[in-house]
Amino acid sequence: MAEAQKPEAGERWRVLVVVLNSLRDLEVAREEGWYRIPLKRAPTRVGADYLAFYQTRVFGEERWAVNYYAPVRRYRIVCRGILLPEEPDHPRADDLYYRIEIGPLRRLPRAIRSRRLRRITFIPTTQERLLGAEEINDLWCGTRDEEQLWRAFKEHGLAPERRYPLAEGEEQRIVDFALFCKDGRLAVCLESEADVRNVRVIREHPLVSEYEAHALGWSMLRLDSRDLLEPAVACVRTIMEAAEGLGGVAAPPTSEGM
Amino acid sequence: MRIGFPVKVLGQPGLKSHDTRRWQNHPHLSVSLAYLRDIFLYLDRQDIHMYRIAADLAPYVSQPDLPQFHSQIDDCATELSAVGAMARSHDLRLSFHLQLSTVLNALDEAIALQAAQLISAQAMILDAMSLGDEAVVVTHVGGVYGDKGAALDRFAARYDLLAEGTRQRLALENDDKRFSVADIMWVHHRTGVRLVFDYLHFQNHNPEGMLVMEALQACLDSWPRNVRAKIHFSSPRTAMRVIERTDLQDEHSEPMMRAPRPHQHADFIDPFQFIDFVGKVKSVNLPEFDFMLEAKAKDLAVVHLREHLARLAPDAMYWGNNG
Repeated sequence: MAEAQKPEAGERWRVLVVVLNSLRDLEVAREEGWYRIPLKRAPTRVGADYLAFYQTRVFGEERWAVNYYAPVRRYRIVCRGILLPEEPDHPRADDLYYRIEIGPLRRLPRAIRSRRLRRITFIPTTQERLLGAEEINDLWCGTRDEEQLWRAFKEHGLAPERRYPLAEGEEQRIVDFALFCKDGRLAVCLESEADVRNVRVIREHPLVSEYEAHALGWSMLRLDSRDLLEPAVACVRTIMEAAEGLGGVAAPPTSEGM
Repeated sequence: MRIGFPVKVLGQPGLKSHDTRRWQNHPHLSVSLAYLRDIFLYLDRQDIHMYRIAADLAPYVSQPDLPQFHSQIDDCATELSAVGAMARSHDLRLSFHLQLSTVLNALDEAIALQAAQLISAQAMILDAMSLGDEAVVVTHVGGVYGDKGAALDRFAARYDLLAEGTRQRLALENDDKRFSVADIMWVHHRTGVRLVFDYLHFQNHNPEGMLVMEALQACLDSWPRNVRAKIHFSSPRTAMRVIERTDLQDEHSEPMMRAPRPHQHADFIDPFQFIDFVGKVKSVNLPEFDFMLEAKAKDLAVVHLREHLARLAPDAMYWGNNG
């Protein structure tokens, strides 16, 4: 990022990937320099030094990818009526929003695409990941265990989705890794949350229960702290065996016909 | 009893305490407040009700040569009010701790003035968040400058010059080499400033030979009766230190082993030391107060200590609530 200085030692610039659903939203970000998030639906992390923008299907060539980012200048809390004065009679005119004011939009050196063309809400990440990501799943920052497993998946040519909701609109019920198999879907959940494994920190997203997963048509594999003492390669082998039981991993969908 | 930790969150990756960008990159208090809101949600998840806010929450707010940053607190009235409401609804006790570079009793008037401006700014932030009297800005006396009596006098005189609202937010802590509990008690009698007892500092620097409960009680008594006091608690490091020694000639560095020093903070809290301390407090029937843990493992130390207390001394956790 051209204007960014080097972070302090041990610090990393924080980036929040947000969603652009309409051409108008992109125009507002580019021309007027702001983006909005309703307070009621704000994610557990809104603070960021930069916003990056995931563009949905309406954006033609740029769809299902992060193409732009911008530095954050200011957060304001305002009601919708002030934010969007052209809609004074909107039923949510009194609702509060974060108006996140940003600097000029810049294009990323390469687009960060979603392999599964998935619906995304927010991704808290870092500058390094934004600039180095090859696809959307590279953006998520997990615990040491999760990161090791992710690297092992990639080394084995596997492409699970990270932080995947059990169902559309179920943003609170998220599995750590989702593998889409020929005969079903496999959810992989890590029971550990903190890097210091024997301190019981409450997870940011509650651990999904097997019952919930099965009810929504998923098979589930849980890895507890003892499983994670094994090398990541061994964990991947266990996961692959479970995937084989579901007919093996299927190829991701393509944009044709979407 | 509330048990809190300072500034940095270690329990979950990526939670920043404030906007750390340098002035050229336009940092802003409102960005820090967005980070703070995220931390408050984390604290709520972990059932932690006490937290020390980063001293640089409002970046460059009192930097004399950067006036563009001076109006941030007024500009963020709405956002400060929102995070304040969140803190109150979570029963979250908040504080600031001035950095060692903020020296109210400095010989240099310009340094002292800048310190006073920063204290005032932090007090304004707590006011703008509509926090109760228990939310304080903690500082040390500062430097001795060869004359301890004059240094204490200078602190008291500069305290008197602060605005009334700022004075009510300031609290004074004993340190581990210069100003003991007896010294800060002198400042309290002279000015009325509230005192924060630091257990490890007391163990390291107690030239008057005060008893620990006597020193603690003196500090607790400096708080108004209707405001719950707080103390700082930490265990001394006992593990080996590994430091890198760099040869300036060839820039080659190699690790060196060092024994720990008694003023250094341990990663976690010694649960037996904590339980013993709480037991002594209970035995002399002192008023209820909160614990700010100054352990290097931050929030992990709070969670871990609570686990130990639940197993080893469940009554200790409920001291204060019952008393």
